[in-house]
Amino acid sequence: MLRTKLSLALLVALIPSLGLATERQVVTVWGLSAGPDAKGTEAVVREFERRNPDLKVRALRMGAGEMNPQKLMTSIVGGAPPDIINQDRFSLSDWASRGAFRPLDDLVERDRDTDPTTPTPDQYYEAAWKETQFEGKTYGIPTGADDRILYWNRTVFQESAAELRAAGLDPGRPPRTWSETLAYSRVLTKRDAQGNLVRAGFIPNFGNSWLYLFAFQNEASFMSADGRRCTLSSKEAEEALQFMVDGYKLLGGYDAAQKFSSGFLGNENDPFVIGKIAMKIDGDWILSTLSRYAPNLDFGVAPPPVPDDRYARQGRFAGVEPTFVTWIGGFSYAIPEGAKNVEGAWRFIKFATSLEARMIDNQAQAEWDRIRGREFVPRISAHIATNETMLKEFRPRNPNYRAALAMHVELASAGRIRPPSVVGQVLWDEHVKAIESACRLEASPADALRKGQAVVQRELDAHYRYETLPRFDFRGPVIGAAVVIVGLLGAFLLYVRRLNLGRLAREEAKWAFILVSPWLIGFLVFTAGPMVASLIFSFTQYNVLSEPRWVGVENYAALFTTERENLLKAFGNVFYLAGLGVPLGIVSSLGIALLLNTAVAGIKTYRTVFYLPSIVPVVAGAVLWGWVLTPDASKGLVNSAWMATVTQWLGVQPPGWLTVADWAKPALIVMGLWGAGGGMILWLAGLKGVPATLYEAANIDGANGNRQFWSITLPMLSPIVFFNVVTGFIGAIQEFDRVWVLRGGGGTAGPSDSLLVPVVHLFVNGFTYFKLGFASALAWLVFSVILGLTFLQFKIAPRWVHYEADK
Amino acid sequence: MGEWVQGGAALLYWVGIVVAFRGLWLAFQAWLGAPGVDRSIRARGAAVSCSAGVLCVLVGSSVTRTWGLDLPVAWPVLPLPAWLAAGCLLVAVVALGRGLLSALPTERTPRLVSAAGWAGVGALCLVWAQQQNEPFKVLTGKIALTPGAAVAALAIAVVAILTMIAAARSASAHARSKTFVTHLALLAGCFVFGIPFVWLLLTSFKEDRDMASPEGIVWVPRVQQTVPFISDKNPYFEAVYNGQRVEANLEQRKADGTMILAVVRPVGLSGYTFEVEPGQAKQIPREVPLVDVTMDGQKVRGKVVEELEDGGRRVRAIEPAPFAGREQVFPADQVEPYRPVSLRWKNYTEALEFLPPETQFGLVYLRNTVFLVVMNVIGTLLSCALVAYAFARLKFPGKDALFNVLLATMMLPGAVTILPQFLIFKNLGWVNTLQPLWVPAFFAGAFNVFMLRQFFKQIPFELEDAAKIDGCSYLRTFWSVMVPQIKPALVVIAIWTFIGAWNNFMGPLIYVNTPELMPIAYAVQMFNGERFGEPGLLMAFVTMGMLPVLALFAFAQRYFIEGVALSGLGGR
Repeated sequence: MLRTKLSLALLVALIPSLGLATERQVVTVWGLSAGPDAKGTEAVVREFERRNPDLKVRALRMGAGEMNPQKLMTSIVGGAPPDIINQDRFSLSDWASRGAFRPLDDLVERDRDTDPTTPTPDQYYEAAWKETQFEGKTYGIPTGADDRILYWNRTVFQESAAELRAAGLDPGRPPRTWSETLAYSRVLTKRDAQGNLVRAGFIPNFGNSWLYLFAFQNEASFMSADGRRCTLSSKEAEEALQFMVDGYKLLGGYDAAQKFSSGFLGNENDPFVIGKIAMKIDGDWILSTLSRYAPNLDFGVAPPPVPDDRYARQGRFAGVEPTFVTWIGGFSYAIPEGAKNVEGAWRFIKFATSLEARMIDNQAQAEWDRIRGREFVPRISAHIATNETMLKEFRPRNPNYRAALAMHVELASAGRIRPPSVVGQVLWDEHVKAIESACRLEASPADALRKGQAVVQRELDAHYRYETLPRFDFRGPVIGAAVVIVGLLGAFLLYVRRLNLGRLAREEAKWAFILVSPWLIGFLVFTAGPMVASLIFSFTQYNVLSEPRWVGVENYAALFTTERENLLKAFGNVFYLAGLGVPLGIVSSLGIALLLNTAVAGIKTYRTVFYLPSIVPVVAGAVLWGWVLTPDASKGLVNSAWMATVTQWLGVQPPGWLTVADWAKPALIVMGLWGAGGGMILWLAGLKGVPATLYEAANIDGANGNRQFWSITLPMLSPIVFFNVVTGFIGAIQEFDRVWVLRGGGGTAGPSDSLLVPVVHLFVNGFTYFKLGFASALAWLVFSVILGLTFLQFKIAPRWVHYEADK
Repeated sequence: MGEWVQGGAALLYWVGIVVAFRGLWLAFQAWLGAPGVDRSIRARGAAVSCSAGVLCVLVGSSVTRTWGLDLPVAWPVLPLPAWLAAGCLLVAVVALGRGLLSALPTERTPRLVSAAGWAGVGALCLVWAQQQNEPFKVLTGKIALTPGAAVAALAIAVVAILTMIAAARSASAHARSKTFVTHLALLAGCFVFGIPFVWLLLTSFKEDRDMASPEGIVWVPRVQQTVPFISDKNPYFEAVYNGQRVEANLEQRKADGTMILAVVRPVGLSGYTFEVEPGQAKQIPREVPLVDVTMDGQKVRGKVVEELEDGGRRVRAIEPAPFAGREQVFPADQVEPYRPVSLRWKNYTEALEFLPPETQFGLVYLRNTVFLVVMNVIGTLLSCALVAYAFARLKFPGKDALFNVLLATMMLPGAVTILPQFLIFKNLGWVNTLQPLWVPAFFAGAFNVFMLRQFFKQIPFELEDAAKIDGCSYLRTFWSVMVPQIKPALVVIAIWTFIGAWNNFMGPLIYVNTPELMPIAYAVQMFNGERFGEPGLLMAFVTMGMLPVLALFAFAQRYFIEGVALSGLGGR
């Protein structure tokens, strides 16, 4: 007995120590570059784990750090975030303002005197550090710094030397001003006999420039100094956008350029490497790719071309220093609010951003590249000491790379940052939309920017207004709901008592309620409760992280005022998809069913082939069709077939499908038609149900096959047509999966929002921006549209739907 | 204007061909039919049709300048309203014709009225089209008639005429010709529907270099053949890294004999380096490519034993025998890789190796998906059947009201409730767990309840009464008497739930944050984002993701097809 007790006690004593010995705390990091060629990161992680045996680092990509932060935000709000996120710096303040990140100042303060590796402002470029600040707090520790410079392909310039000279341009140097850039691009752009681009001189938004770079060069600012006013639509930004528009015009338009670039491949077939584009503006990340896949490429670098006046230092720019400016960005480590292991995260951040770790990173990467015979080109850091040491120790041998690296470091000091703002993400999304609509000539640059500015300003106002809004007391509705439920229950019990049921009937009712209870509970918890909650939220401004505030009917008003355009677009897209897709689907599936219904041999095999596509998982189908519809005829199945037939016969070039706005929806419809087999099965079942006697009678009356179809088959099948139309429209309004997979990255849904559908808009507002109030109002709009549509269809139905039972 | 003339001429050409065909058809009928008035009428019709057809073709091809060798094609490019207008006007013309031809005045008037109506709508559409400011164009071109195409067209024409003759001869032949045409149409449809699958499968078996080709899609997968080869210059090792067996390149040999190895396979760990003692790594043969080269003017097959810095290859000959063992260095462009037609199965294993190690080569995805599917199916069947049984067979106060509520919830789109549901699950602490994706299934979905209720209602009351008399409880009656009666419906619901759970994408997108919890649908999207540059692996992964659903279909095809009829169509 004693021995058992003793051994038990021993066991109990052992358990914690065992736990300590075996269980290492995990630090989860999202957005670290992982993979075969990210040796540096791997080395840093390994060294950190060696020095901190109690910690284990878990690096996941999770699509984090990218332009759409849906996953990160959902995880933070859901209370299960990673411990560290490697986040694009410009969006830090935006999410920090909603309480998504933990301020790091207390940790910095605590450690700065005791630990020399503690990051402090003086170690970083001012611009980079400034980007991590919001309302006086530090939300991230900068990692890299990337500024944009102009890359030009010397070989391409030399090939066209004579033409360039004829146009009065020097083939030995790149353009310095905007007008020179356009002039060079005009000469260097080449087309084939059909007028398709085979080389683009300069695609304004290829590489990485966006409007930000050109606007910074033109001294535009995007926000007022106090951050309360958006100044996206300034004359300076307008001129910059006009430059981009002109750049696309000379390529034959934005869509032509998009289609051309959809055929671009990476690595050794990079368009810049193989001379498909002569110049591009890009960041230092391309150097390691170039050194790996095209080490002998003869390229040059230069500061990005600036406005003519700026170069000439005249007009507005008289006395403005420096002549060349660029745009600088980069990532930083941040700790999400609610992270489980803050201490471990902070230890990792401190280590990973120290000079020592950054050198371990470079060293490991250099070693890796050296063994493979590649030239190692270090990445620029936001950490000043790192850059200094790096330039000394890891200078590239190849003069082209050396020059490029030097140019990047030199221009870094002339870098401008996107203003830290609570609406950074919206500003970014709106600026992308403005670029697209202006470059596609849908709106003038001024109008496009003005529209974007209005949206951003609205977000700003909403943010700063939040504090002044009345608090919303949840107790009222909750008590109200409780009273209503208790009242209903009481009334029901009274009603039951009045019924005066017998013993057996009471027993039966008891069991019935027990059996129905799963649905009843589910209804209350997952349907009725959420509906009431959704209704309440729709009258508030609420982002989950801070408490809801009452705004009245404002969210509903927004549906019809500020958001009107987006919603018109979203519902317009849906009605386009349904209006064309549903009838086409009905006709094609009915056609197949009629063919199959003729009792030919092998019907089962045929049926299987036609039916299979409709049960392919939606995501898999979307991924598959994304590839099948690749515009580049050397890869895409559809366009390859198109080139072999239609282009051969009529000379019509294949469309750009999902890459161009006009064809994105037809692409989705084509995808939908592939799934026509589902409808076919319905038709087949329906056709079997048409009584043969009707046809016999018709035969006797001398009606031919055509007549029989229109007078017997179709009316008898009209309930199925009706069913298909109703479910088709309801399904289309709830379209989400395919669009989410195919919409491409960024804040837009397809080119120029051509795939924006209501549920995607709702999802983005709900789970990316966490504007729960607005999203709830939108949900109710979607609901009422579906309801209205269904009602309408049921109203019209008696006019054309034939129900046998009615007779 | 010229293009409109060209387009019209092309149309005329094709009309001519159709009319000429009709002429031929009539001629055959006249030839086969009995002599008489009928026959002479047919013969005359045949002559008229043939000559009109030939005339049309001649005129058409003289205008389009495609003298018989090319087939002219034309396509009008119109804005959407113009298409609508064209459609309306066509309907109007047909109605007008029918109105004018109809014998009874009572029939004529409404037809003429509807013709006028359609014409009006057409005119409105035309006005709308005018305002669109988009050009109306006709594109013209020609299909070059290559000898092969000409022979094929001729063969089709002959077969068509032969079937027509056969069809005219007897009724059974008529049926046969119809079957023939139906099969032709069905095969064409199968081709269109099946080709994306074929492309998917082929792509999943192709090497990267065949993914894009200027000549169009590569349809014949070829695989670089390799042979094992132990090289001392570039040794290859098998070792254990983090408890996992890996194959690795030698990175560096230190003075004390320890080696730094870089992982090559599994691909997911590729690039990771680690140190081993000499005894812990075993040298294994490396797979080196087989190539064809020319030695002394003769074609020789050999293996690449060394890849030089400048891109050159040192090739050791294998066959023919006299050359075997000879080594020579060739510049890269003189080395022809030996790539016979074959399937690259490695895409599949590599796709799985690429997945994060904690997913156990994707098994974790599969486990999660299967778990979700099983839980969803069990939950749905159990809860829906119970609830439906109560609604169908038991009497209780408030039943009709509750059932109406249930019907009403069928209309509710999921979009309305996803946000508050997220908050509920968040407060339960269920974010980043799988619970939100299966627990709701245990609370009976409205549509399934509705459907099952219809089935319960059809069961005769006698069965239930007998059970009652035997003293069965409600649960016992439900389980032993009722459930066996509705098995087919339950199977159908199980299949639908299976597919719904397998495909669920928005759920994981909201609730799942770690690879360990991801189901396949979400993993496919992540894979798509991260491995976009490698279509071979991506398509292999996509294929694996859809295979189980297709397999289910193969086994339960009957229920898939019958399910549609069972659902009662208008059920929703």
